[in-house]
Amino acid sequence: MSEKLYQIISKVMGIPALEINDESSQEDIESWTSFKGYVLLDELETNFNVKFSIDEAMNVKNVGDIKRHLQNHGVQIS
Amino acid sequence: MESKELLSHYILESEKINLEKFERKIKIAMISSFTINGLAETLKVKCFENKIRCITFEGGYNQYNQEILDENSNLYKFSPEITFLIFDVRSIFGELFYSPYSLSEQERKNFVNKKNSEITSLIKKFRETSTSKLVISNLGMPHYSPHGIAETKTRYSFHDMIMDFNQKLKETILDFESVYIFDIFCFMIKHGETNVFNFQNYLFGDIKIAINYIPKLAHELMSFVISTLGLTKKCIVLDLDNTLWGGIVGEDGFDGIRLGPQPPGNAYVEFQKTIKALTQRGIILAINSKNNFDDAMKIIQEHPHMILKDNDFACIKINWNDKVSNMKEIANELNLGLDSFVFFDDDPVNRELVRKTIPDVTTPELPDDPSKYVEILQSLNEFSVFQITNEDLNRKKMYSQQRNRQVSEVSSTNLGEFLKTLDLHVSIKKSNSFTIPRISQLILKTNQFNLSTKRYQEDDIRKFSDDDQVLIGCAQVKDKFGDNGITGVFIVKKLNSDEWFLDTFLLSCRVMGREVEKAILNYIINEAKKNGIRKIKSQYIVTKKNKPVENFLPDCGFVQENGFWVFDLTKTFHVPEFLTTNIE
Repeated sequence: MSEKLYQIISKVMGIPALEINDESSQEDIESWTSFKGYVLLDELETNFNVKFSIDEAMNVKNVGDIKRHLQNHGVQIS
Repeated sequence: MESKELLSHYILESEKINLEKFERKIKIAMISSFTINGLAETLKVKCFENKIRCITFEGGYNQYNQEILDENSNLYKFSPEITFLIFDVRSIFGELFYSPYSLSEQERKNFVNKKNSEITSLIKKFRETSTSKLVISNLGMPHYSPHGIAETKTRYSFHDMIMDFNQKLKETILDFESVYIFDIFCFMIKHGETNVFNFQNYLFGDIKIAINYIPKLAHELMSFVISTLGLTKKCIVLDLDNTLWGGIVGEDGFDGIRLGPQPPGNAYVEFQKTIKALTQRGIILAINSKNNFDDAMKIIQEHPHMILKDNDFACIKINWNDKVSNMKEIANELNLGLDSFVFFDDDPVNRELVRKTIPDVTTPELPDDPSKYVEILQSLNEFSVFQITNEDLNRKKMYSQQRNRQVSEVSSTNLGEFLKTLDLHVSIKKSNSFTIPRISQLILKTNQFNLSTKRYQEDDIRKFSDDDQVLIGCAQVKDKFGDNGITGVFIVKKLNSDEWFLDTFLLSCRVMGREVEKAILNYIINEAKKNGIRKIKSQYIVTKKNKPVENFLPDCGFVQENGFWVFDLTKTFHVPEFLTTNIE
């Protein structure tokens, strides 16, 4: 499942999937603007069929956070 | 929602596409009362799909007042051709969105009047400062009201305020040239307020149209772009079996096809009604079907549930030829470019064939399920026009008269003889408030008999009309079969006391091949002579489509001189005798 997640992040941020890991954050990824952040959340909600709470949406600083939130919604992420 | 409809798709595409290669260009400005990130990227991609080079400007967040009121603003420096000004009800109402009833009924009315007059002054300022078309949104209706079900039992209620605001805005823009409304009220009805407005998006970034509805918003705004550039489609070409009715006439027979009040036959009735509805804005219809002519025509003429009848079609091709040859013949007979057509066919093979061979024709995907046909037709924005002219209203009648003319043409032995029997009348008319909308439409849409293909906007035309150094006018053509309406336009620039320059000269395809251009040119020549002019100069600017006008100047006695075509006014110009001209 990590792979699907990385592909989505790669698509939205326009960077190679190989450059993404759990520590990748808004600071490292230049294209991760606040607007791209909303787009990413929307894309994840559509692809994984989940809805994030406002607290979850506010607490996305890096890819690890996204994994944690997805797991909270029952999405299996290795 | 499919992934290609998501905003991220457009944002990524916009980074990849190269717009430089397109000749057709538009400058779009977007200013709004809230954040509409992603709209510019989406419009770029949608323009790219229509082979348009799109250059965009986005005003600062909620800076629309400053952008419009400051004559030196970046908005005006950008000099847009279309400006979208998009409001939302929360910004306009402010705190009153939640507490409209803190005001008395009279105060609520005053509030709406005040907001309307603020917007009217913005429109005024914009109109004085820019030549751009202005497309201004009305307000979407929130389903919520502080009064709940008592809302509809309240005088001049919260919802009434919004309705009143929208109605007043509409009346205001009717008085302004080149100002239009983007009906966000209907946009919200189409997609639903609870979808279009997403609280998380709003709370996070003041995004009042949810991220994934931005592509749908852009789709609606493209209607204005298409109309500005004159890319509006003019004709719907229809297959018959499994498109206008269910089943195959050759196999199922007159009584066996599915068309009538019961499902699934009612899906086809509904589709036909939707098609017929479009003829009210001047869209014409044609048939392109592989069938036995007599079997299919019997259904069209005699089937009790057929909505579209024989005289609804400007051209009928029912035969065993391939769809592409038929399509080209239809284009020929109607004198329209292939890019004026939308083709509906249930057969994926035919669709693919047409898309591959004649990509200029728009061929929408049709699903197997006929109950989806109506939505697909209604979702197309290619039929958009800014306003409906008299010619649009009468077009269907004129084309069915045209079919009669062609029958008559076949029975006359030669063209000259045929033209004599037509009883042609050409009326030269001034450019004024009655004729300008049609002049503008012809200037934007005419491709074939168009000497210079200069796409002047309505504002330019208005300026020319007031300029005594310009002779601008149009021509209405009538014949024994009916009135073709205004079908010719000319713009002459008076260079000096010796020379005039024929800048624009065009004829609608409807009246080509009848030599009416000579009556119009004769008028210009006579005017020039009256003013003691010696020469009329002109130029033929070649485009992919204007071959029909190639020989017009030399045929009329213009000779080449220093890269121009020049008519020496000491010469006499002969107008064919079968043309009657009058000047209004």
